[in-house]
Amino acid sequence: MQIQVRLFATYREIVGEGQLAWTLRDGTTVGQLVEAILAKYPRLLGHGNSMLLAVNQEVVRPDVVLREGDEVALLPPVSGGRR
Amino acid sequence: MIEIQRNRIDVETVVDSVRRHDAGAIVVFLGTVRADPDVRALDYEVYKPMALRTLTELVARAREKFGILELSIVHRAGRVSVGGDSVVIACAAAHRSEAFAACSWVMDEVKRIVPIWKTEAGPAKMRDRQP
Repeated sequence: MQIQVRLFATYREIVGEGQLAWTLRDGTTVGQLVEAILAKYPRLLGHGNSMLLAVNQEVVRPDVVLREGDEVALLPPVSGGRR
Repeated sequence: MIEIQRNRIDVETVVDSVRRHDAGAIVVFLGTVRADPDVRALDYEVYKPMALRTLTELVARAREKFGILELSIVHRAGRVSVGGDSVVIACAAAHRSEAFAACSWVMDEVKRIVPIWKTEAGPAKMRDRQP
């Protein structure tokens, strides 16, 4: 099955693209997808702990199973800033 | 009114969007681009469908939490120069205390959970962008 991966800010700069088409075996989880992405783009490795994951614009846990056509977003920490 | 836009935010339009006869207070917050050393502008990158969905949820939570009447949030995407408004929030309530509280809470949440990232553009980057 094929899914879309969206990358933003630091992650987009590291990978060099904001959107990737990714082919997966049925039953692949978001966490397994992220492992595959980190293996292909090892410069993302240092960011794994602060990465937030969203499927179809909703934040999910890594054990969620992906489906054909899903849009997975790897989200760096948002802007923050002082109050 | 919930919007993410590349052009300048018209503050009066945002304020008018929350006006109601049963409101006794409207609190308006403007987030503006500050001239820190070497900062000429901020570039805002937005995951728009998720940002709009998150902002909509925040408005619903603010209504429930503070009992406010109306809440509008408009955020810029793209480049905003020093002095420009990057976000405008207007909150109407029967009384000022809940309008102030909701406005402050929602701005903190926008910074915390809405997928919008900013990068600083200094003099070197500004030069790069010129044709």
